[in-house]
Amino acid sequence: MNGTKTIANNPLVKQLPTATVFTNKKFEVIYASDKFLSDFSFDSQHTFGKPINELFTTLSDNWENKLYNCLSDKSHNVNVSYNLNSATDSKWYKWSCTAWQNEANETIGLIIHFEDITDKKLKEEQVNTLQSLLDAMCEISKIGVWDYDIINNKLICCDVIRQIHDVSEDYEFSFDSALSAYKDGYSRNTVSMLVHETMTKGTSWNEKLQFRTAKGKEIWVQVAGMPTFMDGKIVGIKGTLQNIEKQVQSETKTKENELLLRTLVDNLPLNVFIKDTESRKILVNRSECDYMGVDNPDELLGKSDFELFNKDIALISRAEDLQVMETLTPILGRETINETKDGRISTFLTSKIPLKGNNGKAQGLVGISMDISDLKQKEQELRDLINVTSQQNKKLVNFAHIVSHNLRSHTANFSMLLDFLANEKNEEEKSNIIKMLTQASDNLLETLENLNEVVAINTNINLEKKPIRLNQRIVSVKRNLKAFLVNNNAKIVNAISEHTSIKVIPAYIDSILMNFITNAVKYKHPDRPPLITLSTTNENGYITLSIEDNGLGIDLKKYGDKLFGMYKTFHDHSDSRGIGLYITKNQIEAMNGKVTVASKVGVGTTFKIYFNEQN
Amino acid sequence: MNKIESICIIDDDPITVFGIQKMLSLVVDCDDITVYRNGRLAIDGIKSRIEENKKAPQVIFLDINMPIMDGWQFLDEFITLPLHEKVRVNIITSSIDSFDLQNWEDFKKKTCHTITFNNKPIRKEHVAEITKIA
Repeated sequence: MNGTKTIANNPLVKQLPTATVFTNKKFEVIYASDKFLSDFSFDSQHTFGKPINELFTTLSDNWENKLYNCLSDKSHNVNVSYNLNSATDSKWYKWSCTAWQNEANETIGLIIHFEDITDKKLKEEQVNTLQSLLDAMCEISKIGVWDYDIINNKLICCDVIRQIHDVSEDYEFSFDSALSAYKDGYSRNTVSMLVHETMTKGTSWNEKLQFRTAKGKEIWVQVAGMPTFMDGKIVGIKGTLQNIEKQVQSETKTKENELLLRTLVDNLPLNVFIKDTESRKILVNRSECDYMGVDNPDELLGKSDFELFNKDIALISRAEDLQVMETLTPILGRETINETKDGRISTFLTSKIPLKGNNGKAQGLVGISMDISDLKQKEQELRDLINVTSQQNKKLVNFAHIVSHNLRSHTANFSMLLDFLANEKNEEEKSNIIKMLTQASDNLLETLENLNEVVAINTNINLEKKPIRLNQRIVSVKRNLKAFLVNNNAKIVNAISEHTSIKVIPAYIDSILMNFITNAVKYKHPDRPPLITLSTTNENGYITLSIEDNGLGIDLKKYGDKLFGMYKTFHDHSDSRGIGLYITKNQIEAMNGKVTVASKVGVGTTFKIYFNEQN
Repeated sequence: MNKIESICIIDDDPITVFGIQKMLSLVVDCDDITVYRNGRLAIDGIKSRIEENKKAPQVIFLDINMPIMDGWQFLDEFITLPLHEKVRVNIITSSIDSFDLQNWEDFKKKTCHTITFNNKPIRKEHVAEITKIA
């Protein structure tokens, strides 16, 4: 080798603590530290005298140029990275080359240090990975990060923050200008105060504030900050910034919608409620609260019908709820009767609509009820009125027929008799016809009197009803009929209590009692003396007077519908006028009462007269 | 003059009965005129005539409003009687109730006897017209 002898390893070099080699100008290894041999697992016998490139087979292409440069320029420091691969892991080395000079300052070779930079390299990679992750995170989530160095008054921001501020990518922030982007007033005051608190007390914060971009657009941002400590002292603040304008807008929209819905639901003249699957109320509107008699919805929320209504009502309601939720079919406009615990009964038109959850099953129901109690009452009043009217109408038509029939039969007789009279020659027959004309005239008069009586009953409907003692009236009627009763060997059993009082038109009760008692005696059974039993019962707002006899009885199948008709008689008695029961019935009805009859031929008849005590 | 073997008048009003009898005496030749005061008496009378093998009335004058058994109830029973010859039943009434007219229509469909509906007052000429063998 030219000018260089191969010498044994220099003991000084051998003991160097770093991996170091000395090469000649041909880059052949002259000296090497033990550390070098062990680090690269070189065998000392095959190392010395060998050129570097033979030892390191994976050197990059321009290594040779770099090393030559070192030989010529003694100050040149070359960094060559070398990657040593092994089965388990790879190691990174940095080469530092300097020219090797002898005493005459001649370059005789190179001194190369190998520094293990694997740890540094790994950390660098880690930092790079973290940085790219952070960048990606900021980019994706649109959450910007910032870091303020208090000591140097320097604010570092990521690109997302520049986007939020709407400034160019190379814009540099000052801390004061960043703060002044917050809207004058509450927002800027708040953020300034929070920053101050972090600086002085080390607090962390997270706040929703209003913000103005560089282009003057007002937006909502979510800003957060926390202190940076160094050696236990606060040296900075770092935090995040996020544009939440869209969320705030949709939140505002949602709130507006909710308010609108709530206002609507509360002011509907309908009871609205939402129930969960256990039929507990989870929403009620004002109408429902008013109906239930509570001021605050909280008094109803979470409660089931079993807590709010009587059990039978709650059972019906719960069954409806289950049906709606199980079948997912709404109940619409069903008429229901509801009774509150304090006993108010109302009629509702109720609809129940299932509320479907994401799984397609019912998670509750919406109920809408309309109180139609007033309507129902009016309907009932109307029905009653129609009943009364049609009843009146029927009576009127009936009466018109009676009048027409009776008057016609008399006039027909007059007409016929007069016709006979005009053509009759025989004097005896003439006087016979005149006698009959007189009779017809008397009959007409009597008929008119009867009709008059009926009209009087039906027109004097405003006669005042007064409470009377029933027994007093019975005694009076018995006194008037004394001779008649004695002659017929009739007996009256009075089972009516001394105190029984009824509200009637006094003149009518006398006529009614007189009529029924005379009838009972008149139509007595030939085989036994008449026995009349009087008694009263009290039922459904009526006091019922029962008049039972042991007389002939009436075949109700045959005559039932005619019994109370005018000019109907059922027994072959010459003194049956056929007017009594008709008038009696009219009198009873004029007092808002009614009359029924039960009878068995050969056994007797019982009339029941219902006196209306309410009106 | 028309010859009728047997006539019966069912009416509770003596004046009407007198009138019909008087008019009949002028328009027909009949020796057998029976008067019944109500439907019950008439049914019983006609039944006993049948039992005695007497001829049933050929013409009946029938009032509707009567005690005990009215004209319609009479017809109910009458149309079930085992009669061999057609009978002419002339209803004589002062009723203009549509219910009575409907009843008449119903009875006409139920029986082979002739039934006519005549409003009071009736004249001699009309009686002559309706007093004949069915």
